[in-house]
Amino acid sequence: MSGERRLRDALVAAGAVPASHVPEESTGRGDLLEVAGAELVEDATVTAHPVAPIAGPPAVAFLDGIERWLVTFYDGVVPIVRAYVAGAVRRRDGSRRLSTALAATREFHVAPLAALRPGVRAALEASEIELVDVAADAQQATQPGRALEAARRVVENARVALEKALGERHAAALGPDEWLVVDGVLSESAALSRHPRALGVIKSHAAQYFEGEALTRALTIPDHHRSSVFQPRGRARHEVYSWYLRLWPWEGNDLLFGLVRVEARAHADTVATASRIAGWLVRERAPVATPDRRWDRLLYPMHDVETYLRARAPRELVPRAASRLPRRAS
Amino acid sequence: MIQQRVPSSPSGGTPVGRVVATELKPATPHQFHFWTANETSIGIGAIVRVEEDGRETGDGGRVVYGVVTDAMAYSDLATPLHDVVGAEGDPARAAESPTVRQEIRLWTAAVLRQEPEEPLQPVPLGRVCVADDADVVQALRMDAYLTGATPSGIPVGLYTSGGLEAPVYLDADFLLGPEAAHLNISGVSGLATKTSAVEFLLSSIFQHFPAHKGRVAAVCFNVKGPDLCFLDQPGPLDDADRRRYERLGVTPQPFARVRYYAPFKADGVNLNTLRTHPDLAGNVEPLVWGLEEVLDFAEVLLNRDDIDAKADAFIDFLSDRVVRREFDDGFGGTHRVQTFADLDRLFRAIFDGLESAGRSDMWRTHHVATIRKVRNRLSNISTRCKGLVTDDGPSSDLPWGRFDAQTVYVVDIANVDPLGQDLVFARIVSQLRERLERRDLGVDAVVVFVDELNKYAPADGPDTYVKKMLLDISERGRYLGLVLFGAEQFRTQVHRRVVGNAATIVYGRMDFDELATPGYQVLTPATKIKLATLPVGELMVRHPHFTQPVFVRFPRPAVLRGRDGVGRFPPAADLPFEDAVVRQLVRMDRRIRPNEAKDLIADRTPDDVRRALAATRRARPEDPLAFFRRALGRAVPAPAAERPREVVQPLNPIADEPY
Repeated sequence: MSGERRLRDALVAAGAVPASHVPEESTGRGDLLEVAGAELVEDATVTAHPVAPIAGPPAVAFLDGIERWLVTFYDGVVPIVRAYVAGAVRRRDGSRRLSTALAATREFHVAPLAALRPGVRAALEASEIELVDVAADAQQATQPGRALEAARRVVENARVALEKALGERHAAALGPDEWLVVDGVLSESAALSRHPRALGVIKSHAAQYFEGEALTRALTIPDHHRSSVFQPRGRARHEVYSWYLRLWPWEGNDLLFGLVRVEARAHADTVATASRIAGWLVRERAPVATPDRRWDRLLYPMHDVETYLRARAPRELVPRAASRLPRRAS
Repeated sequence: MIQQRVPSSPSGGTPVGRVVATELKPATPHQFHFWTANETSIGIGAIVRVEEDGRETGDGGRVVYGVVTDAMAYSDLATPLHDVVGAEGDPARAAESPTVRQEIRLWTAAVLRQEPEEPLQPVPLGRVCVADDADVVQALRMDAYLTGATPSGIPVGLYTSGGLEAPVYLDADFLLGPEAAHLNISGVSGLATKTSAVEFLLSSIFQHFPAHKGRVAAVCFNVKGPDLCFLDQPGPLDDADRRRYERLGVTPQPFARVRYYAPFKADGVNLNTLRTHPDLAGNVEPLVWGLEEVLDFAEVLLNRDDIDAKADAFIDFLSDRVVRREFDDGFGGTHRVQTFADLDRLFRAIFDGLESAGRSDMWRTHHVATIRKVRNRLSNISTRCKGLVTDDGPSSDLPWGRFDAQTVYVVDIANVDPLGQDLVFARIVSQLRERLERRDLGVDAVVVFVDELNKYAPADGPDTYVKKMLLDISERGRYLGLVLFGAEQFRTQVHRRVVGNAATIVYGRMDFDELATPGYQVLTPATKIKLATLPVGELMVRHPHFTQPVFVRFPRPAVLRGRDGVGRFPPAADLPFEDAVVRQLVRMDRRIRPNEAKDLIADRTPDDVRRALAATRRARPEDPLAFFRRALGRAVPAPAAERPREVVQPLNPIADEPY
């Protein structure tokens, strides 16, 4: 028996679960970085509740958004970013097909205007494309990396704002039996976080709400189980209830494989209906959202909305697949 | 008249798709790809119009017409395994997923026409619309022959797609000559509706044959059962058929003028056809040939082993120097050979003369063994083709020189043995060819419909007289107005020059093994599947003006189908000799009393009666019974030749060695 095998057997015998996961923090994935805290509103301790798949509501709308940005110019070392954000609500009815109910886009330049030379700034302002200022201090403006990070935040905020606007607009017009599922948190929007038929499905787990044994129970819930309902603390702007839901078995993968967190309005009915909602969401794991790498947590309708938005994004904002050879011979 | 689209005008129509091009699937000048909604009327064979962006606003832009040749559907599923995972291995659950995957209908189309045609460029990535009537005209380049001072369109069927029924026309100049000619139709028996298609097309030709091209008739060889025996009888049509006829501008009616010809059975008095019902038998003429008609085609009846160069030379000698001439046999006898019986008398005289004179075994440079061999083979012809070839009676033939326009001449050889079929086919087609060459047939063009080309012009096997003749028609008929409409089950098994010279190719439902042969490799798999599953009444047509094959639907021919005809008009039972003779006499004159006729023939030999009857039939006298009585009362004189035999250029000679 090899040493690797002996070690593996010993760990499994001691209760460890085999896994295969290469952390992706270096590429920007920020799971398990922040502890926010939470208050259980169901059960005395975090408990795993089995979930039986059930059919969902007859009509459901799914909201998602994308962002694309690219440095298109440098004024000295100051990057000028061209950005595009888009969001869409795609609705599914009895036909089981998705069609676009709402869509919006926004295209703009992002740059620290104060750091630009007058001629460059004038040219940007004269263009038909919206110009967004990055309020940067002198140090940020002279450091390309910081300026880019500031621009990224601007673009992200623009996307979130666009999604929020779309979500609120569609939620206001939801039919009596129609639900809205948002890719991401509900708690950014007062209207959505109060809506009785709005859900947020969060794939990334940058914020954690438990520690110790509760954390272990929350993050190791088995396939087809949900955690107890809790009320997140910390960054949430508006109160919501939440619970974890495991869509696929994680054993053999990473700890967060198939794990999503669901947000719904902070209301007693949410606790009462959590298992049914979770059962419906478990049904949504088919069809699987491949070839997206996040398919274990990405609901197929969200994948569909992203595909729709990506197909409509300007081609010039798609990174070139070609090599980055010098544009001009030296 | 069909409205011609002005190329630069903006067009209407809701787009049903959009051209897409990728590096792997680019748009080229000859092919393009487009997608549609999942629910669409587009299918294999559909004709579409591509408009470059800007055209709808009248800003010009290219227009491309294409025909759909292939189709694909796929979803965003990365690998089949993911579907298994999603359904947890249970196929039943796969259908329960709350969302249907995104999928695409991606179509491949072959370019039919571009406007403008020059410079020829890749198909623009424009919107795709379903073709309308005018588009079909443009796409198939039919505008070239549907408009102008001398339009020459022949309706062949309706292009149908998504509720549209657009007439498709063939160009008479390319169907019936002189630019190109001939039509070949292939498909499996019973499902390809080959005979029905030809019947409809003949009807269409008769009604739309351009006046400036003269007069046209058709000669159809009925080689299977009652297929063509009821072309003059109306058949059932439904509303859809009538609508299609109206759309095509063809009047749904049976053929107004049909003449039937059939040999006798071996008894020499009952016709060898299924069209013997008393109500229909009136226009069935006997097809009976004598020595004169047969001798030129002895090569059809005698195989290569029978006819060596010496025998061939002797037959030519008989044909050129003996038949229909006063001939001195060299032993003191004078002969006028007009029948097989006369010929046999000549042979006997030669043998007797040689024997009594004790001379050598040579007669007129021909060896006696050769003479005996030819005598044996020729004498055997009337036995082998009894009913068709008469020993000594007058012949009864097609009305050479008096062909009527818009008339179908059906020659029923379905029940004739293969040798007789070959003879009939060879002689009639040769006569057509010769008379069209001399311009004395009575019409300017003749369509010859021959089924079972697999049999008459096989791709392999010996070079028979019939095959050579079919090749000759295929290659030179278009100049003469002699047009071959051939049909067969397996196109690849027909001589490639016969099918290759057919300018118009029609396919009904095809056998899949046939489609798998190299001859069909230009077709896409989707087109092959469509061909293998074509519904009855639908055809794929290739025509010189069409750059791609097009699918058309034709209405049922307005004639009684053979099977139905036999049910409605059951063939009369064969009559005893006396009754059959009486029936023929009564048919000539209904006043004749059967008993009187029977008394006339009571003591006469059948051969005498047959001769007298044939003479009466040939003379068509005002008083048939009196003529018949006179004919019986004396030796029936052989009919005088209408005119001296004319020298006609031979077809490719069978024997390479001149005598």
